Amino acid sequence: MECIITIELGTNAVRVYAFDLNGNMLGSLKGYCPTFHSEPDYSEQDPDQIFITMLYVLKNLLNDLVHPKKYKVVSICFSASMHSVLAVDKRGNPMGNAITWADNRANKEAAELKNSALGKKIYKTTGTPLHPMSPLTKIAWIKNNEKEKFKQASKFLSLKSYILQQLTGEYMVDYSIASATGLLNIHKIQWEPEALKFAGITSAMLPNLVPVFTSPGKLNNAYQTSLGLSADTKLLVGSSDGCMAILGDGINGEGMANITVEDSGAVRVMGDKVLQDEKQLFFNYLLTENRYVSGGPTNNGGNIFEWFTRQFGDFKNPFDIEDSMLELINEASGISPGSDGLIFLPYLLGERAPIWNANARGVYFGINIKHTKAHFLRAVIEGILYEIYSIGKTLQQHRAFNTLSINGSFGTLPFFVQMVADIYNKPVRLMQNYHSVSYGSYLISATEMGIYNSLDEAVKTVVLRDIVTPQKNNHRTYLKYYKIFESLSTKLANEFADIAALQQS
Amino acid sequence: MNQFLLCQKKAVELLLFPHIEEIGVIKNSAIRLNGFLNIVDDGLKIYYVQEGKFEWTINHRPFILYPGDVALILPGIEFGNENNVLEIGSFSWIHLRVNVNKKKQLLTGSWSSLSDKETRAVSKILQMNNSPVLQKFTEAGHIFKSIQSELFNQEIGYQARVNHLLDEIFIRMSRQFSRISNPGRDFPSTFMKLERELRQDLSHQWTVEEMATLVGLGTTLFNDTVKSYSGFSPVSYLINIRISEAIKLLKKSDISLTDIALDTGFYSSQHFSTTFKKLTGYTPSQFRKNHSRTK
Repeated sequence: MECIITIELGTNAVRVYAFDLNGNMLGSLKGYCPTFHSEPDYSEQDPDQIFITMLYVLKNLLNDLVHPKKYKVVSICFSASMHSVLAVDKRGNPMGNAITWADNRANKEAAELKNSALGKKIYKTTGTPLHPMSPLTKIAWIKNNEKEKFKQASKFLSLKSYILQQLTGEYMVDYSIASATGLLNIHKIQWEPEALKFAGITSAMLPNLVPVFTSPGKLNNAYQTSLGLSADTKLLVGSSDGCMAILGDGINGEGMANITVEDSGAVRVMGDKVLQDEKQLFFNYLLTENRYVSGGPTNNGGNIFEWFTRQFGDFKNPFDIEDSMLELINEASGISPGSDGLIFLPYLLGERAPIWNANARGVYFGINIKHTKAHFLRAVIEGILYEIYSIGKTLQQHRAFNTLSINGSFGTLPFFVQMVADIYNKPVRLMQNYHSVSYGSYLISATEMGIYNSLDEAVKTVVLRDIVTPQKNNHRTYLKYYKIFESLSTKLANEFADIAALQQS
Repeated sequence: MNQFLLCQKKAVELLLFPHIEEIGVIKNSAIRLNGFLNIVDDGLKIYYVQEGKFEWTINHRPFILYPGDVALILPGIEFGNENNVLEIGSFSWIHLRVNVNKKKQLLTGSWSSLSDKETRAVSKILQMNNSPVLQKFTEAGHIFKSIQSELFNQEIGYQARVNHLLDEIFIRMSRQFSRISNPGRDFPSTFMKLERELRQDLSHQWTVEEMATLVGLGTTLFNDTVKSYSGFSPVSYLINIRISEAIKLLKKSDISLTDIALDTGFYSSQHFSTTFKKLTGYTPSQFRKNHSRTK
């Protein structure tokens, strides 16, 4: 029997899944990898720890499940978080940690570029909003602030490129990860000279640009031996987590939108054209030559609900946040939609889409004497999902959609799904116990192997069985409050800037 | 409790307890200038406030202590009232002689029945903790009272009892400190704190018990919580950090394999080599060779 392995290099963990050739999940394991914050604005990961964790988790899954049942691994497909940057020296060795998507050290570089004519031009060609998340601004930051490191650096890689290079010796980056760097011209599919110039690098300092189906080559002998894999196991460079999630949820073209609510969140659509927006509100990532994944990311997803739980949850068992969250959700469900007029802006971590304001902060609005702890709680969840709606609403001005699907550990909680359906007034499709990112990776492997004739055909086989239908009455209530929410989110811009300045001093 | 003061070498009550430098209770009814001087020495001091309000400075940080509060002053830390004033109220205290080894661990001494492992864990918690004051920690008051009555009554077994009570106070304080710094709500940040401790002392042969104590959990719950959060058992996670750090050192060509092995907490270069090869397929020296070439 043959099987396919998918490896997701995420910000908190490495996740390895095994599927049979029909896409049935055989098993999965994860391994935690820390993010370090040596300065308030910094978010870094150790590339070697990620590599070791990946080997460890992969090896355990193979030894526990795959080898004992005599499965032969035919294909291994990779996915990873976007926007990471790792400088390596001429021997290919990391010069310190990798900088992750959540790192904000390049704030100044991003702000300067965003307001310039060059910035507008670069957004048009690269499709990536000019924000400290993008490797373009991060590399510029290294150039401006760590001159010696910049001079010694031989290449700037994504974390996935580093891991693949360790396994095979080849430097490669797939279209999707590359298009999230802010350095790729997504129309011509080649590195953009003006962006390279701003970053101060040449295309030779970046990994080779390849389609998502490309194999970076054979596993090095030593890893074949230690993992018990044969030389003909095919490795695939794969895509980004966001693009994989949209494939895994069966989004195959226009008219469909996909919501992810993990710690952070995003709303995404797919089409054969780039979404150009004067205000640079959306990202546009290239999945294959004729498929662009566009959308908007929010900083404030499930992590805000977790924050609330940590402060106000019961924690009957030490550290059991799952249990405390479920209890709070239970409590919140006793309050009527709209939290009797209490509104929460969830911007505890600043915000990306749709307001793109790093200074934004959390707000409770409309508190009256009748509000209880449960109202404050329900308002938090409503606020997180109003923000998800807000992104979708802006997206809809460019591309209409009538079906919605949702994934992510928070997104698939029944209470959250119903609320999303009600706020959007659209049916929402999902599947419980389903990992969209990994399934998307399976589809890439299966298509490459010829199990499906095309990626289109592969994606069309995805059926999300559970459908949650909206309740019209609730929708009308939510919409009334959403209007106030939307207006507050931009109205407070000056005060957001003032309070952020005080908090940083 | 009445006022009293017993000092080592003067008080016969302390003959059997060379590790107790000083123990006493004071009841002060009027402010005394120059009554409470700033001191710093090698001893470990514990103060328990019974009445009144005391403004004390510990390690140059001001604290206000109310009845029921405990201050712990580690060896070498400056302690006193900023203006050398003895305020109104009453408190009891004990000064203990402890040793500090090369690794800066506190060693209580042979009187203690704590095992080596337990002493290490207690020492780690007391030193890691950044606030030296425990609020409303009345258990300490009860233990102080018992020590005093044992010393004065000298009934049979009092030598053992006093030493047990001293252990007791260390154990209670460590548990309380670790509970306060890990309120059982935020495992991600608790785990990050633990992982920082592990990295800072990677050459140490960490045991699961030691790790669990730092987090303020029993070993079983600690094992389960780490496993479900990280996907690793605590020991496997530690090995992962060790190998990741070793990889970094291997890429610097000027450190010997034996030094790398010991610095990252392996028993020997043989143990390092076997563990490394099992996971990566390469021996450390092959790995080093592969990563020293220009690519």
